[in-house]
Amino acid sequence: MNHIVSVSNVSKNYNLGQVVVPALRGVSLDVAEGEFLAIAGPSGSGKTTLLNLVGCVDTPSAGTVTVDGKQTGLLGERDLTRLRLHTIGFIFQSFNLVSVLSVLQNVELPLLLQRALSARERRERVLALLDRVGIREYSKHRPNELSGGQRQRVAIARALVTRPKLVLADEPTANLDWVTGTNILNLMKELNQSEKTTFIFSTHDARVWAYASAVVRLADGQIQDRVSAEEAVRAGGLPTGRLV
Amino acid sequence: MRGYFDTLKVIVLIALRNLFASRLKTLIVGGIILFGSLLVVVGTALVDSVDASMSRSVIGSVAGHIQVYSAKSKDELTVMGSMAMETPDLTPIDDFAALRRTLLGVPNVKAVVPMGLSAAQVIAGNTVDVVLERLRALARRKLAGEDVQVAYESEKDHVRQIVTVLSAEVDNIRKIQSEKAISQDDLAAVVKAVSTEFWAGFDRDPYPALEFLENRIAPLASDADMLFLRYLGTDVDAFAKSFDRMKIVDGKAIPRGERGFLFSKWVYEQQVKLKTALRLDRINDGIKKRSQTIARSEELQRFVKQNTSEVKEIMLQLDGQKTASFRRLLQGELGSQENDVAKLLAEFFRVEDANFARRYRFFYDQLAPMLELYRVRVGDTLTIKSFTKSGYVQSVKLRVYGTFAFEGLEDSHIAGELNLMDMVSFRELYGFLTPERAREVQEIKTMAGVKEVSRERAEAELFGNKDSEAAPVGQAGRPVDEAEAALRSLAGRQQRADRASQSFDPTQLEQGDVLNAAVIVKDPRRISQTIKDIEAAGGKAGIPLHAITWQKASGLVGQFVTMIRAVLYISVLIIFAVALVIINNALVMATLERMPEIGTLRAIGAQRRFLLGMLLVEALAVGVLFGSIGALLGAGIVGVIHAVGIPAANDILYFLFSGPRLHPSLSPANVIISLGIVLVVSAISSIYPGLLAMRVSPRQAMQSDD
Repeated sequence: MNHIVSVSNVSKNYNLGQVVVPALRGVSLDVAEGEFLAIAGPSGSGKTTLLNLVGCVDTPSAGTVTVDGKQTGLLGERDLTRLRLHTIGFIFQSFNLVSVLSVLQNVELPLLLQRALSARERRERVLALLDRVGIREYSKHRPNELSGGQRQRVAIARALVTRPKLVLADEPTANLDWVTGTNILNLMKELNQSEKTTFIFSTHDARVWAYASAVVRLADGQIQDRVSAEEAVRAGGLPTGRLV
Repeated sequence: MRGYFDTLKVIVLIALRNLFASRLKTLIVGGIILFGSLLVVVGTALVDSVDASMSRSVIGSVAGHIQVYSAKSKDELTVMGSMAMETPDLTPIDDFAALRRTLLGVPNVKAVVPMGLSAAQVIAGNTVDVVLERLRALARRKLAGEDVQVAYESEKDHVRQIVTVLSAEVDNIRKIQSEKAISQDDLAAVVKAVSTEFWAGFDRDPYPALEFLENRIAPLASDADMLFLRYLGTDVDAFAKSFDRMKIVDGKAIPRGERGFLFSKWVYEQQVKLKTALRLDRINDGIKKRSQTIARSEELQRFVKQNTSEVKEIMLQLDGQKTASFRRLLQGELGSQENDVAKLLAEFFRVEDANFARRYRFFYDQLAPMLELYRVRVGDTLTIKSFTKSGYVQSVKLRVYGTFAFEGLEDSHIAGELNLMDMVSFRELYGFLTPERAREVQEIKTMAGVKEVSRERAEAELFGNKDSEAAPVGQAGRPVDEAEAALRSLAGRQQRADRASQSFDPTQLEQGDVLNAAVIVKDPRRISQTIKDIEAAGGKAGIPLHAITWQKASGLVGQFVTMIRAVLYISVLIIFAVALVIINNALVMATLERMPEIGTLRAIGAQRRFLLGMLLVEALAVGVLFGSIGALLGAGIVGVIHAVGIPAANDILYFLFSGPRLHPSLSPANVIISLGIVLVVSAISSIYPGLLAMRVSPRQAMQSDD
């Protein structure tokens, strides 16, 4: 099995003035293509740091992070940006849509940055995707005219529009109510299966673990274990089974 | 390439929508830019127009494009705009012909006009002197048996009238000031002159009586008869050809090869005209040209007051007949029974807005024909006394051929302060030794047996040193020492009387000294190069020259526009500096507010230059939009001003505007400069926020709970 992401013995320290705060300490993690991996842990456990390193928005203090065969520590700022643009899709906890652009324009934005497709091709792909996530009718709306769930659908469409190999989702359901969050997770899961896109998402909500193909549990900057969803749910003392 | 364009489109879209989203901020920033670009357009259009009109004024009146003078001169040359008595101390260039040859050798030079600038006090006829002279002539003819009884009596009446006016004035002064304001001698003289006994004995023996009047009474009547004249000695023909705005107003031009004097019309009006008439003219101008009213303008009220209290000037001109005519006319006009003409005149000049126009017409139609309106008339001979360079007084009598003015600058004192004189007379007044003068001096010397004494040998010559030898006699044209100069001045005066009618050989014009010269060029755009060429040519020809632009030559006046321009540029600079700071701040705030959004854009793959482009477009969009509106408004304002015209409120503006109104016009350069500045300022002001945005990490997009 090919590893889309390979994290090897990674440490990350942040400098807060004179004090060096270790966020990750010797983390190693391989993610196979097509996984739907949850990274779990309480606040401050290093989830976001790990996601930043995998998402190429940060580089490790020690160890190596390899994304799609490229070792991020060896890349410059421009190449990292290019890697993000072409290989990774991002879904953020607060959706982070560009407020002055319409839904269609928001989703189209990464394609514009890529400059690979013609206007018509872009439009077709964006509309198909909006159809797929169920908000085609809102394509001309501005983000602030949409509900939280609809916005996250836009964000998902934006993350997937470049057909990335990897989608990173930072607490994608944290700002949504449970039902909406479940719908979003189902959508992500569906896309994971139909597009064979690898998903890595962070969450501190144990109920979400059930959707994952595997759960990596972080605590205090270190990986505690990597378990199946069932095990995780069991260990977390939550009922198994799908919630719809 | 197409992809690039689409990316640009989305950048512009984001930028514009961001601007729209923060409308208030955009409007504030935009307002400042709008005002700035409006100011630039209107300001530069106005200054350019003033510059153009002023250059027409300066170049077309006296300065020409370039002024040339000797590089050895102590002072810098200014040909106008100076009210001071002193004229710049210039070293003469002794061979104008050579200078002209040298200058005409420079490719861009079209014409050269010789010049010299100086000033003098001039005695213009005292009314009393003139009247007494006429009476003396008539008395002589009467005694010779001619039948001039009527004229004689009329002139005698006139003198009596003058004496009466003076006596009243003396009384007045004694009343108003003090008993001692008039000396006992003068008082006694006046008392004698008004007495019946004096006039009873006049016919019997007029000469002693006339002498008494001339020596004792005339000096008391001095009616401000000193004229201060600045004059330009030149080749009047060449001057008229090169300065084609010059036109003759009264009389005619000085004929070629003749000595003569041309009054500037402005000087003629202001200094030579009867003061009362001048004040009436000024009131008329104030009402007609500047919409003033006597009721509201203190200046006009002052003129009215002066006219009512200073009727003496007119009274002195009235003989018996004229007094009667004035009495009859004024009684009719005023509907008055008053017999005292002085009181009638005072009453007549006490004008108000309601009756001014009528009285003004009445004055010129009815009264003025009986008066000498100008102290010096065209055709008169003027005695000009001037201090030469070496300090002795030189005097020349010149015929006044007429008056001149510069087309469109008739009311400007800056353009009108210089009178014209032929170059040959100028040289004489300046103290140059002309060939005829040198001959004259030589004759006197031979007559008087004077020998040349050098300064070093003066003592030996005076006190008799046995070693002393006769100093060699100097050649004409060499610098002269003071003793000789004084002698020349004294002797010259005797023979000067008929100078006025004298002609000179036109080649004399060419071959003598000049102080400076005006150069007219073919292509005014190449002035600075031509100046270099002239100085180089002068150096090569052995005539070290300074060549200066008309701006410099016109002194303060020429620098006026430079000053306005500096003020304009400084205010533009301040406004745009403020704009820069404000735009910068607004963009910095916008950047800080949008950190998460910028982080998101970075995270999803936007390169730094995309963000920089976004901010740049934002700043430029505001700049272009509001800058264009400002420029458009500015163009509109200039258009309106062009149609209406800015009135020249004072004399200096009249000169700067080259006429009574300035009609500024807009050139594309004004708009281009304005938009250029706006774009540069916008671009600069987006640099710092751009750097900030570039430093925003894509991590900003992530929820940081670590």
